Amino acid sequence: MLLGDRAKYVMLVGGLTFATMLMTQQSAVFFGILKWTTSHLSNMRAKLWIVDRNVQQANELKALRDTDVNRVRSVTGVAWAMPIYVTIQSAKLADGNFKPIMLVGLDNTTLVGRPPVMLQGRLEDVRLPNSIILDDLGVQRLSVGRAKPLGLGDTFELNDKEARIVGICRADRHFFGYPYAYSTYTQALQFAPKQRKMLSLVLAEPAPGWTPERAAKQIEIETGMKAYTEDELFWSTIWWYFRNTGIPVAFISIIVLGFIVGTTISGQTFYAFVHENLRHLGALKAMGASNALLARMLLVQSLTVGFIGYGIGVLLVTAFGHAVLGRGEPPFMLPWQLPAATFAIVMGICCFSALLGIRKVWKVEPAVVFRG
Amino acid sequence: MPVSATSASPLAVHVRAVTKTFGTGEAAVPALKGVDFNARQGELLMIVGPSGCGKTTLLSVIAGTLNFDGGEIDVFGSPLHQMKPRAITEFRKRNVGFIFQQFNLIPTLSCIENVSVPLLINGASRREAEQKAETLLKQLGLPGRGRERPTNLSGGQQQRVAIARALVHEPRLVICDEPTSALDKDTGGHIMELLRDVARHPDRSVIVVTHDNRIFKYADRLTEMEDGRVQRVHGQGGNHDLSE
Ligand SMILES: Nc1ncnc2c1ncn2[C@@H]1O[C@H](COP(=O)(O)OP(=O)(O)OP(=O)(O)O)[C@@H](O)[C@H]1O
Ligand SMILES: [Mg+2]
Repeated sequence: MLLGDRAKYVMLVGGLTFATMLMTQQSAVFFGILKWTTSHLSNMRAKLWIVDRNVQQANELKALRDTDVNRVRSVTGVAWAMPIYVTIQSAKLADGNFKPIMLVGLDNTTLVGRPPVMLQGRLEDVRLPNSIILDDLGVQRLSVGRAKPLGLGDTFELNDKEARIVGICRADRHFFGYPYAYSTYTQALQFAPKQRKMLSLVLAEPAPGWTPERAAKQIEIETGMKAYTEDELFWSTIWWYFRNTGIPVAFISIIVLGFIVGTTISGQTFYAFVHENLRHLGALKAMGASNALLARMLLVQSLTVGFIGYGIGVLLVTAFGHAVLGRGEPPFMLPWQLPAATFAIVMGICCFSALLGIRKVWKVEPAVVFRG
Repeated sequence: MPVSATSASPLAVHVRAVTKTFGTGEAAVPALKGVDFNARQGELLMIVGPSGCGKTTLLSVIAGTLNFDGGEIDVFGSPLHQMKPRAITEFRKRNVGFIFQQFNLIPTLSCIENVSVPLLINGASRREAEQKAETLLKQLGLPGRGRERPTNLSGGQQQRVAIARALVHEPRLVICDEPTSALDKDTGGHIMELLRDVARHPDRSVIVVTHDNRIFKYADRLTEMEDGRVQRVHGQGGNHDLSE
């Protein structure tokens, strides 16, 4: 019946599409921002992450003692463990300004924690003196003021020391927008000013036959340090930002806004539809349609438009996601839970709208059909 | 085979001392003040009378769309005064066909879909219902218009669609409130001829409420109401008073 009322139908589907897009899109951007907070994980990649006992998230590392690597290595259930030094250092631009970069020092021999994708140059060359591998964002940032962009073999000043670019890599962007640069552990110590403790974290691999969870537990028992599996650190980091920043408030207000927009448009349209058709609904009642039958009819119609509106909305959001995913800006992350939750909300809105109509239909007396 | 009702025909509707008052206290309006009334099987019965005398109210209680305060109503063996609302809904679904002054066709459905509605309510499959609807529309002189929206049709054609909808599930009682007052004289006449044919069916009764004296002649009998009561019954070759 509703399907025949073109204007209302378009209005309903449009409203629900808009609500779906608003909720899914915005949430995906928030998730994307949150995902930036876990860039260390995707840029260093390891099954086990061992950090100071008080560390709750990947971007707030507390220095460990150099000897802690060996303590982790001696734990049963650990196949290998490698030191990582993570530090933020200033790179000098051609125009005299400074830009911060995230410098990652890798174990000299194994290069565990290496960049995920090499775009130019050879990873092994990072072992040469004063060498550095820079990500493409870094190339872009540090090329400011130069006649042509930085390339392989070019040098720049990193904390007053000369750094030579031997490779260009791709890396996920950091929450604070720092480019990533990789060098060997010993080289990183050279670039950075001397500190008492220079070990940021230990990356490790569980021994054969050990699950990451079990190995992590064992490391904690034997060393007293905090050992995360990749997954645990990912979610621990995300939740930390969720708890400690304004992101959730913005996030929830968007959901609420989407809900209000969706409910207002669809509830209102649906109610108007029922109101305008009261005569016909009354006639159906007179002809013997029970309340239950009419309720089912309204519900089916409402859920049908909900389905269509949701489908179009999610399709558009996914298309949008594909368009921006390649560029990474704005950030975008669409885990399956997100469309699933939106689906539940949209269906909830539709049930609610249908209910408004059903309540009205129930009150209609079949005798109204004889009134002029 | 068409038959004509005679005074010997069995009763279709039997109404005794029915009362109905709208509202309470100061605002109370007694619409039916003890109505006695019969309709026979195979006849077209008209209810006439001045505006506000209770015609629509009487029609509504007979059709089971309005509950009444006192008295007894028996429609083809169903004692409405003893039945629960759910049972009355069920009764309407099977036994009553409705024709309204404003046609009351659903504008967003095609004619065939409109006519199918009572069958669908009665649990028929969509295919079966639409087939039956199409056949019936053809019989009623609307072949080939079934896929159109009712708003594309003239008033008389729309009323034919409405008649098809009222008959498609073969109800025993057909109820019409002012079926011709939205139509011109000729169209109204055609519609009434159609309704009279519908009534020429044993085991069926057609009750028509009307103001329209141009169509009185189509009635087998004519019931005159005044101020919530039945005053007189005409027909079958002469006037009959209430004691008949
Ligand atoms: N729902 C209602 N609430 C209150 N009063 C009502 C209601 N329906 C009808 N009435 C009153 O009951 C009386 C009988 O009304 P009814 O509609 O049965 O008359 P009618 O003979 O059909 O009139 P008309 O020829 O104008 O259609 C009128 O006085 C009317 O105002
Ligand atoms: Mg009336």
